[in-house]
Amino acid sequence: MNKQISRRTALGLLGATMTSATALRAMPARAATDGVIRFGGSLGMSGRYAETGLNIRHGYETAIKYINEEKGGVQIAGKTYSLELGIVDDASDPARATTLIQRQVDEGVDFFLGSYGSNVVLPCAGITEAAGKVTVQVGGSADQIFTQGYENIFGFFPRASRAWVTSIEFFKSIEPKPKTVSVMATNSAFSKLNAQAAAAGCKEIGLEVLDVLELPEQVTDSSSALATLRARTPDILITTTVDQNSLVIARQMIATETNVPLLYQFLGPQLPAYRESLGAKADGVVMQLPWDESLEFTDPTFGDTQSYIDYYNATNDRPFSYHTVGASSCITTYIEAMKAAGSVDPLAVRDALDAIDIVTAFGPVNFTEDGDGDPILMGAKIGQVQGGEIKVVYPENLRTAETLYPTPTWAEKG
Amino acid sequence: MTGTLFLQTLVDGLILGGIFSLSAVGFSLIFGVLGVVNLSHGIFVLLGAYLGLALKEAWGIDPLMAIPLVFGALFVLGGLVQITLVSGAVRRGSLMSSLLITFGVSLMLRDLIILVFGPDVQSLSSSWLFDTFRIGGVIVDGARASGLIASLLSLGLLSYVLYRSKVGRAMRATAQQDFAAGLCGIDVKKIYAMTFGVSAGFAGVSGIIVGLINPFTPFDDTHWTLNAFVTVVLGGVGSPVGALLGGLMLGGISTFSSQYVGSLYPNVFIFGALLLMLIVRPNGLLGNAYKGSV
Repeated sequence: MNKQISRRTALGLLGATMTSATALRAMPARAATDGVIRFGGSLGMSGRYAETGLNIRHGYETAIKYINEEKGGVQIAGKTYSLELGIVDDASDPARATTLIQRQVDEGVDFFLGSYGSNVVLPCAGITEAAGKVTVQVGGSADQIFTQGYENIFGFFPRASRAWVTSIEFFKSIEPKPKTVSVMATNSAFSKLNAQAAAAGCKEIGLEVLDVLELPEQVTDSSSALATLRARTPDILITTTVDQNSLVIARQMIATETNVPLLYQFLGPQLPAYRESLGAKADGVVMQLPWDESLEFTDPTFGDTQSYIDYYNATNDRPFSYHTVGASSCITTYIEAMKAAGSVDPLAVRDALDAIDIVTAFGPVNFTEDGDGDPILMGAKIGQVQGGEIKVVYPENLRTAETLYPTPTWAEKG
Repeated sequence: MTGTLFLQTLVDGLILGGIFSLSAVGFSLIFGVLGVVNLSHGIFVLLGAYLGLALKEAWGIDPLMAIPLVFGALFVLGGLVQITLVSGAVRRGSLMSSLLITFGVSLMLRDLIILVFGPDVQSLSSSWLFDTFRIGGVIVDGARASGLIASLLSLGLLSYVLYRSKVGRAMRATAQQDFAAGLCGIDVKKIYAMTFGVSAGFAGVSGIIVGLINPFTPFDDTHWTLNAFVTVVLGGVGSPVGALLGGLMLGGISTFSSQYVGSLYPNVFIFGALLLMLIVRPNGLLGNAYKGSV
């Protein structure tokens, strides 16, 4: 009996100590604020999209940490709120993501941050829309997300079919004028949709589309497609593949001496891992550039882009990517919308997001009527790897380097 | 041009097949000797790639030079996994328990990789990686050529061990009849552990080759397990020559269907061939569909 009481007492003391410690640790943040704004959502922190998922999570965390710790929370309609992040791992799996999002909706979360990958964002948007909850996301741009009449979802990128506006204009601006183009895609909705949009845009400006080559969803061998390219070499090769597949294709192009005057990879070269893997061979590769650190913007939370970068680097070990900055700007956008609405009511915030017109560290934020990013204001810039760094080569008013075209062959790159 | 394209496709197929063979031989050996369908095979392939990466980053060891170290490390790890975890499934003689245990092992090892290396895309690099050779109009790149050579050498070495050494004889005897092998004085438990170790070692070596050619993430293991399964069904269980033939067949089907039918369709032809083989010749080209074929 004595032994039982003793164990209970010990457990009780341990529990009381832990509870007190937790309460004490939480007190300073809570004591200074009148409430907590909780952001929910899921992210692929494991699974096939984990790399980008982690980049996005770091962006969310950085903004929330900065607002809570450096600014003491946010003032909305005279009340001070601290922010809380309730992001969970969906393992890049749409089925798991929808289950997790439904649970958060049931728990009363009002504001959602998006996952990564249109195949995950789209079904989650259906759930939050039905529940009247708001989502701001930086990970999905498929047309279907924005063309179903959803009123509560906002995306930082223009929808996929409009994502090629800048790129097509860029192709038009290249001198000497390219005449032919080939497109390489994988068997996924994202890749195929972008390939169709790219091919259609190229045709419109008079480029002859030689081939649209399709590969399996996970590319391990593209040698056959590359043999076709060598037999019928275009002036521009566009790949609309995700990061890992883009790297496979580029490495195999180098290894098989498959040279094109311009290699344009929609995703991949933006990542440091891609450029480290290819070294000097990455020079000349062109990409869509949703954001670049050389572009300086003001930011209502951090002050400006450089201050954001400095704070991020001081508080994180992981290198930032454009998704990271976009994710931080999602939080800033939410906060500015809440301030404009003077409320944390989801419908009022939704209306404020509809009308928002601000500049963040990521760039201008202005959504279309359907909720996707304005194709001009939020459309991608065009970047090219030069000397191991990404330079902005289009549009001309933001240019940090001239376009290198035609690019040297792989062998000439050293 | 048509002739050159055909030759290029053939060479690409042979090279790809060589890599498939090397990555599958361990799977084949474990199935042949232990009767275990090793669902953790793909993760051992990836462990090889990640160990190669760690050795390169820590000491600057060229991935190809790291092959013996990786083989040794995974031999030990594979042996330990067999002794501590898989042996239970072997004792029960249940296919389902072997599937569950090896699947569990793959999940644990995958999480370990994520913990140590993170989920990001990684790749192995080397100064000679992008060197290319031209033979007539046919292009062969350094990474793939070295992959094929390493595959042939490794498979040749394994064949030698299996058919010319005392340990190899013991493995084959255990595969044929473990009880009788035990009666003849063979330490069956030790042979099981060694077989698993050798298989894990070969998977690791193929991981180095795979990592030199393709970027990898911790989530690619199922792809390599599935490839190994198809290779083994095509070539036959337990035989290195069977694995080589199966791998070459798989590589050929993949590249020829991609080139002449469409890059989108190799999986259709690969799994079509798998079904056809199971119907027409369930034992594969060489070997036996069931235990006892080494």
